[in-house]
Amino acid sequence: MVAPRTQVAVPALEAHGLAKRFGDALVLDHVDFALAPGEIHALLGENGAGKSTLMNILTGLYSPEAGHVRVGGVAAAIRSPGEALALGIGMVHQHFRLAAAFTGRENVRLATGNLPALRGRGRTDAALDHALARTGLEVPLDVPVGDLSVADQQRIEILKALSLGARILILDEPTAVLTDQEGDRLLAMVRRLASSGTSVVLITHKLREVLAASDRVSVMRAGRMVLAARGVDEVSAEILAEAMIGQDAPATLRSPSPPGAVLLELAGVSVLRRGAAAVRDVHLSLRSGQIMGIAGVGGNGQQELAEAIVGLRRLETGQVRLAGADMTGRSVDQRRGAGMRYVPSDRSTQALAPDASVNDNLAAAAVSRGRLGRRMLLPRYIRAHARGRIEAFSIAGVTARGTRPVRLLSGGNAQKVVLARELDAEARLIVVHSPTRGLDVAACRYVHDQLIEAAKNGAAVLLISEDLEEILALSDDIRAMSRGQLSTPTSERPSRREIGQMMLGHA
Amino acid sequence: MLERITLERRAGAGPVRQTAAYTGSLVMAIALSLGVLVAAGVPIGALYQELVVQVFLAPTGQAQTLTAATPMLLVGLSAALCLRLKFWNIGLEGQLLLGGIFATGVALTDLGGPVRLALMLIASAIGGALWIAAPLLLRLRLGVSEVIVTLMMTNIAYLLLQHLLFGAFGDPTYNFPSSPAFDDAERLPRLGFGSVHLGLVIALAAVAAVAWISYRTPFGFASRFAGHNPEAARTVGFNTTWIIVVSVLAAGALSGLAGGIIVAGTEFRLSQQIGLHATFNGIVIAALARNEPLWIVPVSLLIAGLTVASASLKVFYGVSEGVVLIIQGIILFCLVAGQFLTTYRVSLTPIEAVR
Repeated sequence: MVAPRTQVAVPALEAHGLAKRFGDALVLDHVDFALAPGEIHALLGENGAGKSTLMNILTGLYSPEAGHVRVGGVAAAIRSPGEALALGIGMVHQHFRLAAAFTGRENVRLATGNLPALRGRGRTDAALDHALARTGLEVPLDVPVGDLSVADQQRIEILKALSLGARILILDEPTAVLTDQEGDRLLAMVRRLASSGTSVVLITHKLREVLAASDRVSVMRAGRMVLAARGVDEVSAEILAEAMIGQDAPATLRSPSPPGAVLLELAGVSVLRRGAAAVRDVHLSLRSGQIMGIAGVGGNGQQELAEAIVGLRRLETGQVRLAGADMTGRSVDQRRGAGMRYVPSDRSTQALAPDASVNDNLAAAAVSRGRLGRRMLLPRYIRAHARGRIEAFSIAGVTARGTRPVRLLSGGNAQKVVLARELDAEARLIVVHSPTRGLDVAACRYVHDQLIEAAKNGAAVLLISEDLEEILALSDDIRAMSRGQLSTPTSERPSRREIGQMMLGHA
Repeated sequence: MLERITLERRAGAGPVRQTAAYTGSLVMAIALSLGVLVAAGVPIGALYQELVVQVFLAPTGQAQTLTAATPMLLVGLSAALCLRLKFWNIGLEGQLLLGGIFATGVALTDLGGPVRLALMLIASAIGGALWIAAPLLLRLRLGVSEVIVTLMMTNIAYLLLQHLLFGAFGDPTYNFPSSPAFDDAERLPRLGFGSVHLGLVIALAAVAAVAWISYRTPFGFASRFAGHNPEAARTVGFNTTWIIVVSVLAAGALSGLAGGIIVAGTEFRLSQQIGLHATFNGIVIAALARNEPLWIVPVSLLIAGLTVASASLKVFYGVSEGVVLIIQGIILFCLVAGQFLTTYRVSLTPIEAVR
């Protein structure tokens, strides 16, 4: 797919010797990068490899300490996102920058600074219409974006960037939040854009997308460009995986476990969120030693279901039973006492107190169960408890006494803190929600191994995830959630395609 | 020329940077405060004498500072308990007034016989706790902002105070609106050092108790954890509602106790002045102490020293008493600004360059 023109034409964007340091860490070590006009250039790398830092420099969020950037062959100093846009560089971030209460059209106007009271309203709308025509996207533009699906919000982000005149489009893990079908549709649209001359940088973790959808690929590792701008037909999944993590990456496969007794039973569970049904009539049963994967696009009731099971959210109807005992109406504390554990999807807001020490975060659950003393709580009990967990889970980045705040740990180590707290010897049911979101490959594998280990030791794991690979790699039983409803159990293990259908509510 | 201001969130400030920011803010605050004092007419040469020697080194000044610090310890502690849980109690003064009213009520009705003094203090704590119970209930049951309710409850408390002073509690033999003076049995005993009274011991004991509970009990652990992140606290099984109820009621009780100690320890009567600046003092002290119970002690002494100094500044140099509030405001402002700068990196770009 590498068109010859990419070799002769002036690159749309070039970076030479970019370096950036945060504190003592050289996060970008003199990196070169070139983007040809009209190509889709995949940028691969683990979290922390330096992809985001590189893109943040190219979009003017950070300034490099060394190196320079050329746009269309002309030297450019990009000092702000505004300047980047003026040069035609637009970025769609993983977390959308949209005002939820505004419509798509209003969001685009807001971004262009052409607010309704000011001049230029027509021009913005014309640019938007043009962007719509080029991409062939169909998006409801006059509905508050907060009411739209993630996929639609993403389309609006892309339209926004294009309306602002982006000729170079940087997409940060665009398919992470989409179903496979939606992802395919997005990639097809990106292909159309590229063929009309837009250059696209596609940041991704998914090898499949790189090989299927891009022209060239670059791989970063530990702040360096380890594989620069190779045509996709020259590389294989093995080469890319090895470049990315520097070692073989065998898929974690589970040997099927002998199912134990039924541990968790949900009967007709319905949950409201702000008065609207978020979970509708969910039935499931999970045996100890089993991992059940619940696939689905985020926001289809997974969060509410998880919270209802562990007792953080009230059931509207139905029953939650653990090993036959009715848990409905019991407190979180009582449910934890019965062996329920929870790894929420958002570490920093739901699981950890970021400003509290690693020790305190590790000890919190034990303290709440009165395990470290009912009346008195001596700091050395907390320290001793925490030290054991830090060693057992080899949590790195902790100071000797464990007083470092959790927020200063890397994502992988912060997640280890959560796991170390939740996966104790008394854990019987572990509800896990997107446990590897934002983690690098090594950390992902660690999390997966821990979950497999927990299941092997007889715990039941309910794995709720938007990452289909994760679900496929770990689960004994796979279900999908769509608009609050759980797909019906299948007799055979569903295929990737079938799961995708289930996630969209077609099965 | 117009400039574009860019805020960049820092990756996370380590303990060194935070300490530096705190110290830097404090130095900045002191420098600005001294500037204000000099501008208000205090000779530079007299600053050390007035702000250090007279209030912290001379025995008379020490006694005055300790006396002034006594209620401040309690309101500071009260503010810290609430602020730690992000319950924005802006009604410390109202709770303090209720404490004063309840204590005076016990004194004037001659309740309790030999334990009347103890009863007065207990009543004052109950009064303060009752006064914060309403905003607490409204917040927990109906989600009403405690900022508004606690603030307004202070106005109600003040009107109630006036109502009583001009009526049931008023001293008919005295021209000013105040209660009759208390009997000796209703006064906290002096400790033999100026006007320093038993209230100081009570306040220090309260600080020690809160510090102990915070760092040596599961409840304290839970309240600190919930203060950092209530959602995570719920996830690990802590009952955050219970934590808020207990902490906030205790905070109200401490403010009320401050009121009781003021009427029984220094004023010996209920007057309109007892609540003066209690809310502001409490919040500044808690902020300076970063809500750490033990830090409340030195910080209260500092603010008390400043208050004592302002009295003599007024006499000798005609500087308004309001200058203390200005200085406290400067300190608070510097701390908040320091916190902001540790969280964000600010850069200015001239608009020209952007276009």
